Amino acid sequence: MKISYSWLKKYIETDLSPEEAAEKLTLTGLEVEDVETFGSDFDGFVVGNVLKVMDHPYADQLKLCKVDIGKKELQIVCGADNVAPGQKVPVAKIGATLPIPMDDGSKMKIRKMKIRGESSEGMICSESELGLSDDHSGIMVLDENLQTGLPLNKALDVSEDTVFEIGLTPNRPDASCHIGVARDLAAVEEIQIQNPYDKDEPDSGDLSKWIDINIEDTTQCHRYAAKIVQNVTVGESPNWLKNRLRAIGLRPINNVVDVTNFVLHEIGQPLHAFNYEKLAKQKIVVKSFDKDLEFETLDEVKRKVPAGTLFICDGEKPVAIAGVMGGVNSEVTENADTILIESAYFNPSSIRKSSKSLGLQTDSSYRFERGIDPNLARRACERAAALMAELTGGKLLDGCSDIHPVKTDPKKIRLRVRRLNQLLGTSLDIDFAAKVLHNLEIKTTTAGTDELECTIPTFRPDLTREVDLIEEVGRIYDYNNIPRPKTAPFISPKPLSSWEKMHSRVHRIATRLMYKEISTNSLLSGKEEDSFSDEKTRLRTLNPVSQEATTLRTTLLGGFLKALNYNLNRNAKQLRFYETGHVYRKSSNGTWIDGVEEHSKLLMGLCGYRFTENWKNRAQYFTIFDLKSDLESFFEQMGIQPYLTTQVSENGELNYLLENTVIATLTRISDSLAGAFDIELPAFAAEVDLTLIHQAGYAVREITYKKISRYPAFEYDAAYTVDQTVSAGQLSDFIRQTAGEKLEKLEVFDVYEGKNLGKGKKSIAFRLTFLDRNKTLTINDVEPIVQKITRVLNSKLGAKLRS
Amino acid sequence: MIEEIKNLRKEIAGTEITNEETLEAFRLKFLSRKGLIQTMFARMSEVPQEERASVGKAMNEVKQQAEDKFRKGKDSLTQATATQLRATDDITLPVAPAYAGSLHPLTQTVNEMKDIFFRLGFDVAYGPEIEDDFHNFTALNFPPDHPARDMQDTFFVQKSGKENAEDLVMRTHTSPVQIRLMKETTPPIRSIIPGRVFRNEAVTAKSYFQFNQMEGLFVDEKVTMGELIETLVMFAKMMYGEHVKYRVRPSFFPFTEPSIEMDVWWGSDFDGQWLEILGAGMVDPNVFKAVDLDPEKYTGYAFGMGVDRIAMLRYGIDDIRILYENDIRFLNQFTG
Repeated sequence: MKISYSWLKKYIETDLSPEEAAEKLTLTGLEVEDVETFGSDFDGFVVGNVLKVMDHPYADQLKLCKVDIGKKELQIVCGADNVAPGQKVPVAKIGATLPIPMDDGSKMKIRKMKIRGESSEGMICSESELGLSDDHSGIMVLDENLQTGLPLNKALDVSEDTVFEIGLTPNRPDASCHIGVARDLAAVEEIQIQNPYDKDEPDSGDLSKWIDINIEDTTQCHRYAAKIVQNVTVGESPNWLKNRLRAIGLRPINNVVDVTNFVLHEIGQPLHAFNYEKLAKQKIVVKSFDKDLEFETLDEVKRKVPAGTLFICDGEKPVAIAGVMGGVNSEVTENADTILIESAYFNPSSIRKSSKSLGLQTDSSYRFERGIDPNLARRACERAAALMAELTGGKLLDGCSDIHPVKTDPKKIRLRVRRLNQLLGTSLDIDFAAKVLHNLEIKTTTAGTDELECTIPTFRPDLTREVDLIEEVGRIYDYNNIPRPKTAPFISPKPLSSWEKMHSRVHRIATRLMYKEISTNSLLSGKEEDSFSDEKTRLRTLNPVSQEATTLRTTLLGGFLKALNYNLNRNAKQLRFYETGHVYRKSSNGTWIDGVEEHSKLLMGLCGYRFTENWKNRAQYFTIFDLKSDLESFFEQMGIQPYLTTQVSENGELNYLLENTVIATLTRISDSLAGAFDIELPAFAAEVDLTLIHQAGYAVREITYKKISRYPAFEYDAAYTVDQTVSAGQLSDFIRQTAGEKLEKLEVFDVYEGKNLGKGKKSIAFRLTFLDRNKTLTINDVEPIVQKITRVLNSKLGAKLRS
Repeated sequence: MIEEIKNLRKEIAGTEITNEETLEAFRLKFLSRKGLIQTMFARMSEVPQEERASVGKAMNEVKQQAEDKFRKGKDSLTQATATQLRATDDITLPVAPAYAGSLHPLTQTVNEMKDIFFRLGFDVAYGPEIEDDFHNFTALNFPPDHPARDMQDTFFVQKSGKENAEDLVMRTHTSPVQIRLMKETTPPIRSIIPGRVFRNEAVTAKSYFQFNQMEGLFVDEKVTMGELIETLVMFAKMMYGEHVKYRVRPSFFPFTEPSIEMDVWWGSDFDGQWLEILGAGMVDPNVFKAVDLDPEKYTGYAFGMGVDRIAMLRYGIDDIRILYENDIRFLNQFTG
């Protein structure tokens, strides 16, 4: 929202510089996001009278003009087509600076110069060159009655202005106008505000002869006031009004519409001007329809308006969408003679609905939606009508039609000063609180020693509770002034949760294993998720921001593969990534929310080369076993490795199970998946369900020191021949189960397939390390164990010990 | 005797060591068990008692001289052979630095923020990223037709149309975890809540549909705004340095009243600007009512800040998208 500082100063007297005022406003809660200079004092610019226009002897596009600027006559070269003798024009004299910066940011200074051989002693300016509008189609033509030689700032009634861009919070509809902003500045500066609306509603006759107003829908419209101005001459507004509107970024239209805009931005009451003669049967009916309607708004767009939208109708038809925009059928045109000014109060939610369903926000709807002063309609209408009569030369009809079925009385709220001080941490006294509230136009009376009975003006719909008043006192006092405690009460912190401990350990281990953390999107395209899930199990957003982000991830794999693709395309050769994050899927038993399983997962993945070609090593790709070794180290460091079993899934992935639940999966990225994500180097990933590990009670690993054995270990090598279908995992599992606790370590040192073994056979050679904490093991201790292992492997898996 | 020692000194000085053979010859002649120096020591008994001290000293000096010469000779011979090592034993051969594990800059920033709030006595809590309407909006005092409940601002996963009650959303802030905390535990509650949040925004250099927040909540009897501001100032000083310039100003959030925002001055004194780093306020009485706490008995404060924004300021990152691209040339800069 734009606020002109010179306009603001019409209501308050202050010496604050624009920057100081901006800072004060920001600290009261009206954040000034930007401060811009607007317009100019036009030093060195005067009104010129064009005496003579001749062709330039050496340039077809240019003209030579003789211009009288009072005491002097200048020759000026001009390129505009519309320059003509007898015109009054703005002239920049030698030495003047154009107010609008050029493309490079500098401002042009007018110098005496020769243009194509003819000397030019100044410049005749267009509106755009003066910064008055975007119009650069020709020179600006001034009122012919202006005195030649008059300084331009007097002629245009302008001066330099400062415009604040205020980021208005939604709770402050009262400040969406100049008087509202002035009120805050006055409160903090403790100065008086001159408010032209601060008077009683006039007690004048009514206009029922002229207009019959009927509010059918009183829940949506609480009040409708109208005034009439007759015999108007629709034309340009005076400069002061045009400049006010231009400063805040509005385009002046005519002296009728400009007045309604002026009042809107002065006090915040949206108004609408109807062409009275177009209103059938001199009637205004406020109502909604139970079917959709087509309606052409002032911007000449035919809109489909949904049923239930509030309309202003005349005796026959809708003439405006209430609170949003008027219709073409009742527009104030140049030849309009009689104007009806509407000033109403509409229910905020009603206007919000209209504006939203039409996708149309206007200065009016913006204010109605947030809630205007319900008791302002009449006074705003009176001010607009008087001003309009003055500017259009029209006749103001005495009286006002003011239908007011739903009245709003000022609320009363008690403020306990002890509560105020307790919440803010201040020790303000009751007089201070009363003074601040008074400056904000909140009337107070003392109720006991500690309490104020406050009467809330109706322009502050946001103040409904004691705490809201505490905020009012606090913000004017300035929160930066609250004394700050030297010490704060010490609240004993709780021990960190098991989840927090586990989570930070996960990060520590993953980085220790030399993985780089990535952060990928929680939302993927449906096509990307197709590789991992089907429509039945996954969740989608109903309103995706783009097709790239429609579907909630069910796995961290998609993000990992996209990160691989991104880096491989940029010539990366070696990638070791990890990520922790939430994944989501539909489920009959929800994690937090019914029907939604939301787990925290860890992904570790490798891609590309373990070594690239160099003087020391041959190029070597990562293998699944590099990742497997990292993954099992992860489990080991987490302290869960002893409790895990493994299982090969149907599609060849390796599942790790904790208490019979799959908590991790180790996988080669298949050719088809690599193809889908355009990955041309080998890639492997392991995904670990942290939520399940935590739920199973393995989140926190308590480390207890185990005495290191003083006795040496005993190594025993045993190779077994088995069918190709038997996996090394099966063999290892049986060895571990059979060997008992003396087995310290199990390694495979050779895997062999050869003709001498027989068809369909392979040999796996284990190195088993045994250790006893109480004695030195000998072959006599170990051999019986190995024999037992051999018997078990033979009976369960048909394995034979190779001699 | 002294004379003989002098001669021995000259002889040692005059012997040249140029290769392994002369080195060995030197050792045999002077330093071996039957070498000249040992032989000389053996004759100590011949020395008259009164001269023994000075002769002994001279003998030791000459022994030292021989040993030094031998060691220097040996060292220089070793160095000479070093130049004859194989080409691949060259220690100056360039290598690629080993791949280093690292935390994402967002995690580093969150960790730094957590460390600060842990020092201030805060616990940490987490919650779901898919939330229901009650936790994300209603309990936080968002009116039924608040713009945040628009499809334009929030990702809906389920929309019932029935008074919002059954709606599911991608949480738009970490504040719903406040509600979970206050419902599940009893005051005093003092916790931070980091996590990922979502807004229905197009992906540009300045905006992304996901980002990270860190929320804080303190509820107890007699918590004041002064304490809130002091806590925020302590945070700002620990995060941005003891001399950080800051200000608080009024703002508005549905779930706090009064509400404030905090700005820090960024840049030099002459060419800088205020940058908003967080929003905060006193827990709104309606929020207490939604979780069945008595607003007359309890007061509290809450604050929330954008981790992405703080990380971007901290590291001078000008495009939020790079945080989620995972370019290894970017990630490599955040080791250590």
